[in-house]
Amino acid sequence: MEFYAQNQNKRPIRLSEPTRKFAYDSLERRYGLDTLKTMAVELDHIEGFDELSRIEQYDLAIKKIVREAPIRICEDERISGAATLGMAIDHVIPATYGGKAISSSVSHLTVDFETVLKKGVNFIRENAQKAYEKYCGTEKEAFSRSCLCCLDAFELWHSRYLDALKEMPEYKENYENLKRVPFEAATGFHEAVQSLWFTFAFIRLCGNWPGIGRIDHLLGDYLKKDLANGVLTLDEAREILAHFFIKGCEWVNGQYIGSGDAQHYQNIVLAGVDENGDEVTNEVTYLVLDILEELGISDFPTTVRINRNTDEGLIKRVAEVMRYGGGILAVYNEEVILEALKNEGYCEREARKFANDGCWEVQIPGKTFFIYSPFDSLQLLQQNTLLGYEDTPVFADFEALYLKYREDLYRAVESIFLDKEQKFKKYDVPTKDWKWAERRPCTVVSLFEEGCIEKGLSYLEGGPIYNVNSPHIGGLADTVNSLYAIKKLVFDDKKVGFSDLMRILKNNWEGEEALRQYLLNKYVYYGNDNDEVDEIAARLLSDFADICVSFNGRCGYRFPAGVSTFGRQLGWSRKRLATPYGKRAGDVLAANCSPTPGTDKEGATAIIRSYCKADHRKLATGAALDIRLLPSSVEGEDGLLALMSLMRGFVELGGFFMQPDVVDASILREAQEHPEDYGTLSVRVSGWNARFVTLDREWQDMVIEQNEH
Amino acid sequence: MNTDLKLKVTEIQRFCMHDGPGVRTTVFMKGCPLSCAWCHNPETQRMSSELLYYDKKCIGCRLCERVCGSKAHIFSDNHILDRERCSACGRCAGECPSGALELCGMEYTVDELLSVITRDREFYREQGGVTLSGGEPLMQGEGAVGLLRACKEEGISTAVETCGYVDRDTLLAALPYTDLFLFDIKDTNDERHRRYTGVSNGRIIENLREIDRHRGRTRLRCILVNGVNTDEEHYRSVSALSESLSFCEGGEVIPYHAYGGGKATFIGRSDNGRREWIPTEEQITLAREKIRFKRG
Repeated sequence: MEFYAQNQNKRPIRLSEPTRKFAYDSLERRYGLDTLKTMAVELDHIEGFDELSRIEQYDLAIKKIVREAPIRICEDERISGAATLGMAIDHVIPATYGGKAISSSVSHLTVDFETVLKKGVNFIRENAQKAYEKYCGTEKEAFSRSCLCCLDAFELWHSRYLDALKEMPEYKENYENLKRVPFEAATGFHEAVQSLWFTFAFIRLCGNWPGIGRIDHLLGDYLKKDLANGVLTLDEAREILAHFFIKGCEWVNGQYIGSGDAQHYQNIVLAGVDENGDEVTNEVTYLVLDILEELGISDFPTTVRINRNTDEGLIKRVAEVMRYGGGILAVYNEEVILEALKNEGYCEREARKFANDGCWEVQIPGKTFFIYSPFDSLQLLQQNTLLGYEDTPVFADFEALYLKYREDLYRAVESIFLDKEQKFKKYDVPTKDWKWAERRPCTVVSLFEEGCIEKGLSYLEGGPIYNVNSPHIGGLADTVNSLYAIKKLVFDDKKVGFSDLMRILKNNWEGEEALRQYLLNKYVYYGNDNDEVDEIAARLLSDFADICVSFNGRCGYRFPAGVSTFGRQLGWSRKRLATPYGKRAGDVLAANCSPTPGTDKEGATAIIRSYCKADHRKLATGAALDIRLLPSSVEGEDGLLALMSLMRGFVELGGFFMQPDVVDASILREAQEHPEDYGTLSVRVSGWNARFVTLDREWQDMVIEQNEH
Repeated sequence: MNTDLKLKVTEIQRFCMHDGPGVRTTVFMKGCPLSCAWCHNPETQRMSSELLYYDKKCIGCRLCERVCGSKAHIFSDNHILDRERCSACGRCAGECPSGALELCGMEYTVDELLSVITRDREFYREQGGVTLSGGEPLMQGEGAVGLLRACKEEGISTAVETCGYVDRDTLLAALPYTDLFLFDIKDTNDERHRRYTGVSNGRIIENLREIDRHRGRTRLRCILVNGVNTDEEHYRSVSALSESLSFCEGGEVIPYHAYGGGKATFIGRSDNGRREWIPTEEQITLAREKIRFKRG
């Protein structure tokens, strides 16, 4: 029973043998395969289903799901509840009509678990009841009724678990814990973990993929109380919490190939300040790190909020866990993010609550509707500014080229805005409520998003307090390198004429190998701490953020700038032409805010410095930086210090989000050849984690390529 | 301070992880008084600049041929570099688009080096900093001391990786500006030391003691070469040596690897890598067990 590590160190053993076995079985797909046995409930037999409104169909589907979903109680589990319908893993509501899922589901949000834990679902029911009375007879009645219906369904599913557990004396503890929660407020740590899990599992059972958020903030006080009262020991608490992480692997089935089977946006955020500005870090923070260190579970991508005052002990623990590889831990630079959120209009107390959307884009949990709109800045340069390299008008100087590009960038952002504006219509002028024109029902997540029940509007209709549509620029490094290469080659060094370069690019470097090599080797690109090129990156990001801000307030949602590609650089590679800095058409280029593979030659500190020259306080949803480190480079006490110093420097220099991954390309190659030996090897892909062997070949190659430089 | 001081450097490597604590920038300097048979960095041995030629990177564009004043680049079936004719002027390296030709041993002023070193200031914190390595950095005594002093004036922690075979005055001059010496002990057996490195270890050990007398902090670095110094006698001597020092903060065993061998071919020498010198896992474990470095 080995939990894979990239370095030579054995993972420590703190958990009991049954818990470790439960983890191992889960990672080896035991429950994931079980989940695939029942894919969905069927709605075909319901008479007149076609004539029902979409929300009535939805309510029926949820009712049927909670009645018919298989009950699963795993061997030795310490908390109960399971999302057992396989179609939920496809991001749809697992209820079919005519063989197809009735609707897609919701992700990219972290819901309000705090209310569930501290006040109980009954509190939500009271609000829903009041809202129903208020909206009865109005056009909001259907949604308000749906809220009550889904709460009934939640209760029914809960009672099925209680009935099942009651019959099994060995699960008496589970039964006792589940009796009160999540409907009443949790009183102790074990109950709180059960409440959190059961609610999470219910939302997932219905097809949605919520993030967890600040688990140490949510659970810390319960543990503190139980420890003080002698009800629990730390070891016992670690054991219970481990079951939360292990149960979170119940969809691991090895069959979701493509971008891997390990990512259902169930992100966790640790540490940082609370709404009053006090540090959150508590025993739960360290227990989570212990669990990740021991089991190497990558299914809950975890990000630690660090700042200048973060305790050295916490940074050290984070570095220790990072060293095992798998990209399980990333860091947020809290001060910059709080500044960015305040610049975006959030008040200080509200900003301090930030978690993420289940990826790394920052949001206020339980209050935010979030979508992002990605676009490829490189194709924009190639197709719009440089007209596909055909009959491209000659620019007088670099500045003229840049300004034309900025104009094109403005138009790209504007078209994202207009497109979404059409779908997001004004609802009610006096109350200033906004809603989406499209009314895809999503009551289950709406129950756990502040504002929805009260406003009588679903998550997708503008119900939450904050509604965010974030334009995401992709291909940043590639665009910056392209602009820089033209600047140097054509305008500064005058080595090649502008039109000649366009012709060469049109021909995809055919017969121009010496020039191509010259561009790749003689100029120093983004990621090497070269001020001249980094200034172009900083300027471009600043201009992009300003363009986005200029649309703020013109519609009912916020429009903050972000940087990402996630895995889009793969699909984009097929449409991209040759780049002026020497890459050929079809090459897979940069991920997120990281340098283009092969162009960074100065190491991690130079990459961080290049990235940090942009003003990240202007990018409210953030820019992710992936850093790859060889296992040998972070060995021993010296290596640990180095990893800690990287995090400190990243904070000092004003970064936003950094995900260091310790990984050795030769090990990845080995895993590609012998997947059977590397079932639990995980890698950070591009904003999330994946079990390497469940990526398809193209993705695997991309990850290897990124790690060979 | 004389800021016009120039140092001949083969490489400045940022984010170096094996040259002392924390994040470090390592400056590899040219020239070495030893000629170890197993040298990992053969391109740093000679003090004069050399042309590195990586034949696999050559794309046959013949730009080098065009700029070479000495007609050292010959193209027949392959690109051949005639080192007899080459004056290592570096002109071809400046032109070579693919990086197949590179000049090893560029001159930098202290200020130029400092401007690179200070870039990673935010990452050094208290423990990290700069490491002078090579080659033997103290062979360029005045320049090395000037650079160390300039770093200390900037508040940057310093380390010197030395083979110990250096001029006493230079060593004493460097001492006040060096926070840590990474001190090579290649072999405690003097006869073997002479045979494999070309010099006696007497002066080296004397210098180590001199550093210790001046309260200089040291970490010992011991290369392990199979069949050369893989004997218990050597392990005992190293342990005793370490124990006798008051300011030694430990050390490490560095197993020989053959990667450096291929590097010799890039400067026109034959591959000096020898697989039989690679220690076995058992030997490494035993050496790490037997050599007791004093912990600081």
